[in-house]
Amino acid sequence: MALLEIRGLNVYYGNIRAIHGIDLDIEEGEITAIIGSNGAGKTTILKAISGMVNRNDSIKFDGVPLSMKPHKVIKKSRICHVPEGRQIFAGLTVEENLLLGAYNNNNKKEIKQLLEEQYDLFPRLRERKNQDAGTLSGGEQQMLAICRGLMSKPRVLLLDEPSLGLAPIIVTEVMKTIQNIRDKGITVVLVEQNAKKSLSICDYAYVVENGRIKLSGTGKEMLNNPEVVEAYLGAACE
Amino acid sequence: MTGKLFIQLLVNGISIGAVYALIAVGFALVFSVLKFSNFSFGGTISACAFIGFFFQKAFNQPPYWITVLVSSVAGVLIALTVDLLGFNRIRKKNSPKIYYFLSSVVFAIMIEQILTVFYGTQMYAFPSIFATTTLQIGGITFSKLDMTILAIAISLLVILIIIIDKTKLGLAIRAVAINSNTSRLMGINSSVIIVLTFAIAGFLGGITGVMLGQKYSVYASLGPSMMLKGFIASVIGGLGSLGGAIVAAILLGVVEIFATFVFGAEIVPIVLFGIMLIFLLVRPQGIAGRIAEEKA
Repeated sequence: MALLEIRGLNVYYGNIRAIHGIDLDIEEGEITAIIGSNGAGKTTILKAISGMVNRNDSIKFDGVPLSMKPHKVIKKSRICHVPEGRQIFAGLTVEENLLLGAYNNNNKKEIKQLLEEQYDLFPRLRERKNQDAGTLSGGEQQMLAICRGLMSKPRVLLLDEPSLGLAPIIVTEVMKTIQNIRDKGITVVLVEQNAKKSLSICDYAYVVENGRIKLSGTGKEMLNNPEVVEAYLGAACE
Repeated sequence: MTGKLFIQLLVNGISIGAVYALIAVGFALVFSVLKFSNFSFGGTISACAFIGFFFQKAFNQPPYWITVLVSSVAGVLIALTVDLLGFNRIRKKNSPKIYYFLSSVVFAIMIEQILTVFYGTQMYAFPSIFATTTLQIGGITFSKLDMTILAIAISLLVILIIIIDKTKLGLAIRAVAINSNTSRLMGINSSVIIVLTFAIAGFLGGITGVMLGQKYSVYASLGPSMMLKGFIASVIGGLGSLGGAIVAAILLGVVEIFATFVFGAEIVPIVLFGIMLIFLLVRPQGIAGRIAEEKA
């Protein structure tokens, strides 16, 4: 049984149906990529999991229905959503941002240890821990957003467009980090427009189009699928 | 103006400014998390002044701290009731910000009018709960009432700043103020934080009501008229900034006392609004305001 089992997920924005009864399985310890063009519904799927949009009762986590309230999803199921555009708290320091990631943890010793882990992962964050997070570069902000997510000791990390707006060399670093996170045993759901990069690191992938699953398969299968190549891996994505 | 008179006016100004600071902070707190100017806060202050007044009368001079406590608890309850009736639904439905503003103005007028219907527009003298004698230090006369008010206001502000800056609750309030949606992803129950923010503001409003009642007297439009000063202070301080609001409020109190002395009380509103206008023209982000940009 998959860790996250989605069956017949529907999401509406007002009267507009954004997600049309999709089925999706997220296996534990894997990177599952969700790719697709702009407005296909990728972000909405993540928001449905984390409880940020209203949905029907269609998601099971570890065999039990998943809460629809964001603070419960992260607290009880330890599913952490790292939103699109980093959404770090500008005006708070880097360390305060990280501490917010561990908001539901009351074990001070563990929080300290988690902080050290993040600083070891990205020494740049340690150097800047007392600096306003808004002054970080785009790449640093993305690292901060990921580390803030890791501070919650997640079982599942939902990553929305972590490569957006970053220089290619930093994208490579982010992708490597995501693989490291998976290797630590954390399940990753990766939503990306950068199909090539995400397909090459993922274990399984879904292609979303107009709120429906169009294709699915392992990363390798997808990279060689002519349909995927034509629609998402064309010269424009190089 | 002699040096002694100057110091006396300055201290009086700081004392009344500290009370304005409590109002401005209550105002700024709610503004920071919900991004609207909560004018109903003035009504809360009036209502609390009346509640403190009647409590004091009914129980034949109980110790002052009991009156202050009763009034501040009343402030919390009133603020939460206003939130429940006036704002909660707007929040749930994610309606435009202007609805909050309108609702808060409606509640400000409603509370003031309810008080007027029951108690008229006349002023009630609050029985003295703080010492009203004066104190001579180095030939300068200080009113003990002003000193007590100053001490209470400053201690409250210090406690509040510690809560906001050093505690987890404070961090959560700041996070919700910056981005309430992302705060929810951190596991913060932002509705609870918003309600708590109203409660803190109401608590401050309750204490402010008793202190203003003591200093002036109790009347229906006491809160709304003071609210205006709190509002000006929080605009000058930079809307939503607590530190800025405190500095601006104390500055405003000092300016008010000096302007009253030099030009007379009638001119004071012109001076205060003039200062606000100048700030809006020259430095619209306020004293503490800064323009933070998130990198794409």
